[in-house]
Amino acid sequence: MKVFTTLLRTELKLSLRGMDMIIFAICLPVIVMVILGIVYGNNPENLAASFPAVSTIAICAGGVMGLPLVISGYRQNKILKRFKVTPVSPALLLFVQTMIYTIYSVVSLILVYLTASIFFGFRLPGSWLQFIGAFVLVMISMFSIGMLVGGVSPNTKIASIIASILYFPMLIFSGATLPYEVMPTPLQKAADIMPLTQGIKILKAVSLDKPIDNIILSLIIICTIAIVCTALSVKFFKWE
Amino acid sequence: MPVIETKNLTKSFGGKTVLSDFNISVNQGEVFGLLGSNGAGKTTAIDCILGTKKPDSGTVRILGLNPKTERKKLFENVGVQFQELHYQDKITVSELCEMTSALYHNVNDYKRLLLEFGLNEKSKSIVNELSGGQKQKLFVLLALIPKAKVIFLDELTTGLDTKARRDIWNTLKKLKENGLTIFLVSHFMDEVEALCDNICILKQGKIVFSGNVQNAIQSSPYKTLENAYLWYSGEEVTE
Repeated sequence: MKVFTTLLRTELKLSLRGMDMIIFAICLPVIVMVILGIVYGNNPENLAASFPAVSTIAICAGGVMGLPLVISGYRQNKILKRFKVTPVSPALLLFVQTMIYTIYSVVSLILVYLTASIFFGFRLPGSWLQFIGAFVLVMISMFSIGMLVGGVSPNTKIASIIASILYFPMLIFSGATLPYEVMPTPLQKAADIMPLTQGIKILKAVSLDKPIDNIILSLIIICTIAIVCTALSVKFFKWE
Repeated sequence: MPVIETKNLTKSFGGKTVLSDFNISVNQGEVFGLLGSNGAGKTTAIDCILGTKKPDSGTVRILGLNPKTERKKLFENVGVQFQELHYQDKITVSELCEMTSALYHNVNDYKRLLLEFGLNEKSKSIVNELSGGQKQKLFVLLALIPKAKVIFLDELTTGLDTKARRDIWNTLKKLKENGLTIFLVSHFMDEVEALCDNICILKQGKIVFSGNVQNAIQSSPYKTLENAYLWYSGEEVTE
């Protein structure tokens, strides 16, 4: 336990020193929430649809940008190899990293919620319990993608290219920032192939208290991604 | 029982044998030097001994344990300094020490070690911003954080000035007197003569000499270890 807390504290400090996540996982979602709040201020239904979408911005930043970069970087700098000659498994370091991105995601969720509720009078129509459950599911799924990208990329350069290809389109077109509802149908169809779009559909359905039947397909997709990516990263992870 | 023992370690990459029939035995309290020119297979040997690479055949025991299958238990008692730097961007000296300390049950106080190595004033500095010599000292220091029974040092004094090298040698000699077993890789024959009890010289993956320093010189046509070493490694000796 002492190992875990020391690693978590140190790695969190290092991550905060990097500033990237503060900007992309903490500030950006709050800013987007403020903008959407102003735009949708007099329309509680649209606001309620925006909250779950915006709450995934940090998951997306951490999962497909933060995790792949840090993992491939730690392999390239041989930090994972260094852990192999200590009593502690390098897998613990990976776990610590996923915890750090979980912290960012949860802090972001809380701040986005406070912004929406304090300034724009947002109330979650659905059940919080279901929402949290869906949030965790989406997080696991997105983080598993990041773990796979970081785990199998031969170097940080390739990891960062793949991360950018995944991150920017999902940030813009999955509905996390630009509302899915305002997109023309062909664009919506294209956006549907992105994992995060499916994740946001699940979050929207539970937060708007809509029947679960509409999102069965999304649930299957998200769960499949989580299982497949986790299995592949366990099988093909390169420690050095 | 030897502290480090390898039997017929062999490793090849892409059809090329980089280490063949590597047999060594290092006793407790001994300083053992692994020598060889660049590409002679030293790094592969260390990797196979520590279990960071899997040998094609042969066995390794450190403190009687298999480094691959009994890693957790073994590395409580083993300190390692790799040739290259393995640390996080933006990490400070004290953070790196603290993190390393957290990995072991029994540790030496890193603050005392920082003082001993003259790095105390640098404890708040970013590791990346240290000079080459300071970094090198820090990496030796990290290997000494666990209360180890054996330590592996890969090119421990590369980049250090004369004074700093002497300081580190003295530290190691003291540790040796206390029974620590030291496995080191070095390119400096003065260092080898000052520290090593036994040495092993690698040439193209094969051991061409194994024994103590005096023997190495006596069994060669030369009078200094440096010339003897060059002779064993098949290099031209120019005096």
